[in-house]
Amino acid sequence: MTGRNVASTALKAREFPILVALAAVVVTTGLVNPTFASSEGISAILIESSVIGLLAASQSMLIIMRQIDLSVGSTTGLVAFLVGQNAAANIGVPFAVSVGVGLAVGLVVGVVNGFLIAYLGLPSLVVTIAMLYVVRGVFSHLAGGETITAEQVPAPLVELGSGSIFGVPYLFVCALIGAISVTLLLRYSRWGRDLYAIGSNPEAALRVGIPVARRTFVAFALSGIFTGVAGLLLLGRFSFADATSGLGIELYVIAACVIGGVAIAGGVGTAVGALIGAVLLQTITFALGALGVSQFWQQAVAGALLVLAITFDRVVAVRSARRVVRRVEVLA
Amino acid sequence: MAGNLLSVEGAYKRFGGVHALAGASLEVSAGEIVGLLGENGAGKSTLVKTLAGLHSLDAGTITLQGRPFSQGNPRSAREQGIAVIYQEPSLFPDLSLAENVFVGRQPTTGGRVDWRGMVSQTQGLFDGLGIDLNPLRPARGLSIADQQMVEIVKALSIDASLIIMDEPSAALSAAEVAQLMTVARRLKDQGRGVVYISHRLDEVTELCDSVTVMRDGATVATAAVAQIDTTQIVRWMVGREITEMFPKFDAEVGDVVLSVKGLTRAGVFHDISFDVRRGEIVALAGLVGAGRSEVVRAIFGIDHHDSGTVSVSGSVLRNGSPSAAMSAGVALVPEDRRLQGLFMPAAISRNIAMTVLARLRSRLLLRGISERRVATDWAGRLQLKYANIEDPVERLSGGNQQKVVLAKWLATDPALLIVDEPTRGIDVGTKAEVHRLLSEQAVRGLAVLMVSSDLPEVLGMADRVLVMREGRLVAEIARADATQESVMTAATISGALA
Repeated sequence: MTGRNVASTALKAREFPILVALAAVVVTTGLVNPTFASSEGISAILIESSVIGLLAASQSMLIIMRQIDLSVGSTTGLVAFLVGQNAAANIGVPFAVSVGVGLAVGLVVGVVNGFLIAYLGLPSLVVTIAMLYVVRGVFSHLAGGETITAEQVPAPLVELGSGSIFGVPYLFVCALIGAISVTLLLRYSRWGRDLYAIGSNPEAALRVGIPVARRTFVAFALSGIFTGVAGLLLLGRFSFADATSGLGIELYVIAACVIGGVAIAGGVGTAVGALIGAVLLQTITFALGALGVSQFWQQAVAGALLVLAITFDRVVAVRSARRVVRRVEVLA
Repeated sequence: MAGNLLSVEGAYKRFGGVHALAGASLEVSAGEIVGLLGENGAGKSTLVKTLAGLHSLDAGTITLQGRPFSQGNPRSAREQGIAVIYQEPSLFPDLSLAENVFVGRQPTTGGRVDWRGMVSQTQGLFDGLGIDLNPLRPARGLSIADQQMVEIVKALSIDASLIIMDEPSAALSAAEVAQLMTVARRLKDQGRGVVYISHRLDEVTELCDSVTVMRDGATVATAAVAQIDTTQIVRWMVGREITEMFPKFDAEVGDVVLSVKGLTRAGVFHDISFDVRRGEIVALAGLVGAGRSEVVRAIFGIDHHDSGTVSVSGSVLRNGSPSAAMSAGVALVPEDRRLQGLFMPAAISRNIAMTVLARLRSRLLLRGISERRVATDWAGRLQLKYANIEDPVERLSGGNQQKVVLAKWLATDPALLIVDEPTRGIDVGTKAEVHRLLSEQAVRGLAVLMVSSDLPEVLGMADRVLVMREGRLVAEIARADATQESVMTAATISGALA
């Protein structure tokens, strides 16, 4: 690809307008409140976007194939809690075991979701709402009133939660690596291309012999593992966990995907876009704070942003459809 | 016969209690185009789906290029060299054409999808068939004809030895059908076998080398096209003589029911004016994309129009209001009954009585009963073939589904009936019944506006033919002057006025 090609591809990408919006928010807010655009300010935004960003990156994989997972909030919290509890109960347990526990818990939930959705053909919206409650219920039972505090959190996670490299928080580096891996996997592997095909036209995917059920199952299992990682990040981020950890974040995850250009109807979008969506969502929340807007309004603006994102998407879709119609008329 | 390519013998397949295939056979040679014919429900689709790897036979053998064909797996069917082009191709709208061609088997280098190679190979295949499409554009928005071309390219990319076209021409304009035939002949010249399924017998006799006719799941006849005529084919298909394909009764033409004046929707159609009277059947002919469906949608109020008026029985309809059109006595039977006309999982009775629910609602408790009474009455008048009036509509054959749509609207006792492609995808037997029905309703004083791409239907049924081209009404031809040539000339050649 020549330089010009790269530039024109980047300009045409669905993610481009979101990046522009992001830059606009940072610059304008920075002009009003200089601490906002400082390296500390930006670092705070990145830290705050990491967990949701990673979850959005993995969620994008499911939305692209026309599925959804609303159980990620509960699972992320459960992972954070169980990892902390495990480390506290077995002092000196190797970090690898903690990671193993986290990923295993995520994987189990992912496998259950995947089995019910892929092989029993149940709708993912309902299955994962059910799992949201089931996991949260089990979680509340296990946790009771117990809290995980800083001294119980494995040291590497504390380091992960607070350290940075070249000014970029480790947490965000993890989210970025996750998003880039998913993006590349979906762009350059046949497995990933199958997910786009399934989301674009599930019936046709069956007709051309794509093993839709197997792809769905594996995608949910993989998403479960990513959720496990997100749980570890969450624990590192706050050095704290209790029965309310991760409560309600699934909706921010879905919103981040949609704002980041992942079409809710499937077939379109990237994990990197979803991560950028998460960062934009977080940036706007921070910006409104920096501009002195009350917290209640911040939520309303997040909602408005979501509507704006899908409206933009719709306008683009209608326009390109009109172009095609015009072309057909010229030919007819 | 030269080198037998495909041989299906003694094929049986049951779905529940229904024998979809009961002794079907099919022979195709390399370099041969076989027309596969039969009424809806004759078993063609099941046979095609079996060859596509979507079903496995209960009994029977399939041999492809001398080897037993391994059934029940679509991917394996393609790998064995069978490709199926469906009437409505199911492409992936969000993916590029190149990826649509190679979906599921994208070329890779070192495990990585080779995008550049995929695009250049697709371009090469497009060039080979003279297809002018950009491999990088998404499939969304392609015309049906172009979508089929992409499917054909897909078949070539796997070097399919047998290409099955399942009613490819049903949604194409005449020019597009001609292009499709050219491509089919090219495939034949390359030594591939082609199975061509169509309800249009003239196409079959023009294109195919031989025909195989199915009825009730069995193959009833196979013959070289040169040795038979269409009357014989129809007799095989229905197992009886069809005395009259286009029963046209004399109806008394009365007052103007529909009057359209200067109807315009920017960029879609322009300055359309015409009348339809009581007892009259008026056909709206033209190529696909000429704006016919759009005009009737605007008349019914589904789409807004920018200027002009639509009046029914003297009063002007509110712009863009289907409910106003309905209360003025207009009924529209849409082109796509699956999407727009029927609730497939709901009962036949519920579907038929749906439009008159308001009238039935007054006697709440009796609604179920009156629903069934209205439905049974209409089912009888339309000779609907069903097991139980409470069965879901999706269990009916295509032709019978169309009768349900007609019944649903006729039950409202309309003054004007608009039908858009009333017999698309319907077998000859049912087609004749639908025609008889329209004719009878006209005799009873109904005004009928019929959009149709089926020329014999237009010529056989219409009192007047209105021809549209590129969004304009270019000709009005009286029944006596309407011929294939006069209509097609008006529809295709600019400047020609009949």
